[in-house]
Amino acid sequence: MATKAKAFDLKAQPGFSAIARIAVVSLYLPIIILVVFSFNATSSLGVWGGFSFGWFVMAWHNDLIINAALFSLFLATVAGVFATIMATMAAIAMTRSDAYRGQTISYALINQPLIVPEIVTAISLLIVFAAVKSATGYSGTGYLVIAHTAFCIPFAYLPIRARLEGMDLNLETAAADLYADPWKTFVHVTLPRLGPGIVAGFMLAFVVSLDDVVITDLVKSGGQETLPTFMLGQIRRDMTPEVNAAATMLLIPSILLVTAVHLINRKK
Amino acid sequence: MSIATHVAPAADRKSAIQTIGLQKSYGSGAATFLALDDVSIDIAENEFFTLLGPSGCGKTTLLRLIAGFNFPTDGQILLHGKDIAPLPPFKRPINTVFQNYALFAHMSVAENIGFGMKMLGWPKEKITARVAEMLRLVRMEALAERRTSAISGGQQQRVALARALAPQPQVLLLDEPLSALDYKLRKEMQVELKRLQTETGITFVFVTHDQEEALAMSDRIAVMSKGKVLQVGNPREIYNAPVDRFVADFIGESNILEGRVLDDAGPGAFQVYVAGTTITAYGHATRGSAIQVLIRPEHVDVLDIATPNALPAEVENEVFVGSDTRLGLKLENGARFTVRLSNSPELDRQRTAGGRVWLRIHDRCARLLGAEHV
Repeated sequence: MATKAKAFDLKAQPGFSAIARIAVVSLYLPIIILVVFSFNATSSLGVWGGFSFGWFVMAWHNDLIINAALFSLFLATVAGVFATIMATMAAIAMTRSDAYRGQTISYALINQPLIVPEIVTAISLLIVFAAVKSATGYSGTGYLVIAHTAFCIPFAYLPIRARLEGMDLNLETAAADLYADPWKTFVHVTLPRLGPGIVAGFMLAFVVSLDDVVITDLVKSGGQETLPTFMLGQIRRDMTPEVNAAATMLLIPSILLVTAVHLINRKK
Repeated sequence: MSIATHVAPAADRKSAIQTIGLQKSYGSGAATFLALDDVSIDIAENEFFTLLGPSGCGKTTLLRLIAGFNFPTDGQILLHGKDIAPLPPFKRPINTVFQNYALFAHMSVAENIGFGMKMLGWPKEKITARVAEMLRLVRMEALAERRTSAISGGQQQRVALARALAPQPQVLLLDEPLSALDYKLRKEMQVELKRLQTETGITFVFVTHDQEEALAMSDRIAVMSKGKVLQVGNPREIYNAPVDRFVADFIGESNILEGRVLDDAGPGAFQVYVAGTTITAYGHATRGSAIQVLIRPEHVDVLDIATPNALPAEVENEVFVGSDTRLGLKLENGARFTVRLSNSPELDRQRTAGGRVWLRIHDRCARLLGAEHV
């Protein structure tokens, strides 16, 4: 590393620090402004009127916000668990089997939600679910769970696959040599070594589900609101810093989880 | 053979592992690679059996087939007479010590050793007792609760051994287990392995490319090259009577001379004309045929006067290497010849380059080699 840095140090290139500063400011300034105005004492979104926790208190007592937040957490947990289970199975199938026809294609298909524009996925799901809805009459949360699970899979898949690929295959061979059948090998050797990857995968899936707006907004039935779709609805009407306060609260679990994923991956 | 200590071949003992016409190929069509070609060996119970050969000779492939990690393309693998070729590794009472040890880093030393027995469903008290016994056997009692990442390479080696021996396998396979250790530790572990094998009475099948290691530890050795077994025998047979040029070259140092068979000279003995002189060589040959003769560097006396049946040679160089002196010589036909002489202070004398000497080969120490396997 040290010798590489000597040969070509990106940080020493002219303009590096200026570009870095502009990037950081333009990425984080809007978020900082949003957080700052959630503490505004007046109902203005642009003029500072003094410090207050008022909007947080108000949001906390707003049943609509609380219900939306709880629904978001429920959805993210369920979809995160489903996505993680499927991603784990897919990753094992693709890293622990002999090469087969269509292996590359399956990889591309699993990662499809990362590539296809979200609005396209959202509209296709809307059309399919509308047909199912009119055929069955079912309009529960099942659609949202399916939709969220689907687009969360690649986020859960990538860290799990990376972990599997970095694992010494000899360990599984050694387990088989020591009388562990494939299932026991998985439980006693692969899974414990895979644990951090699975946790990281689940956390990423959870955050992605928690933050989604576009697909949720198109797929949800009447009366179903996640925190993001509720906020989207709010700003179409009479917008107050209450939305800022809700957004600030939504930021906290996201930041915590992404930080945790980073720490887990670093600890290997 | 005239050599006294001779380990009986498998014939008059019970065999532990037998392979019959074992074949393993990779790929298909024109790209087919034959990793094992018609390998039939018979490994006796309680034997320390070594598969020896250069990298790519198929020795590890053979080990993996016995372990069940790969399956043969053709042929049988018998364990105490029963065909185990179709069984997966977890159904074979055979354990392996891996080259990189493959210890479970998320478990302690004791948990690693207990793993196989736990998978076999042994009762807890029995596992605990056996783990303690194994820790004693490999002298690791003090480190039972350590993580395997927190112990040295030599200690990891012992844990890998204990883990593989603990479930009392019928056969223990060792895949170059000493190659990652430094020279001194390797020597220690050679003695240690031999001790463990004698104490446990388990059949060891040991894979190595190190001929010295093979000679030092084995009851019998199978020398392999290009997927074939060239020779099976005890270390003395392999060293003293190699079947062909490959085995002769691979095991120990050798001088190999081109010659012609002149006449019979008693049972298994022939008058052979090499480098302008007639010597007596032992092996199988037909009169009049061209042949190769093997002479080990330490099986030669260097004389200063012309002697019948001694090969005349010219000294090219002399290297003092402590216990021995190595003489580089040139024979009358231009062939190079190396002699190794044991040193002692009263015998030590220097020879000048260009000096003339006569090489007298020790009785019965010139071997006829068969046609080389290609």
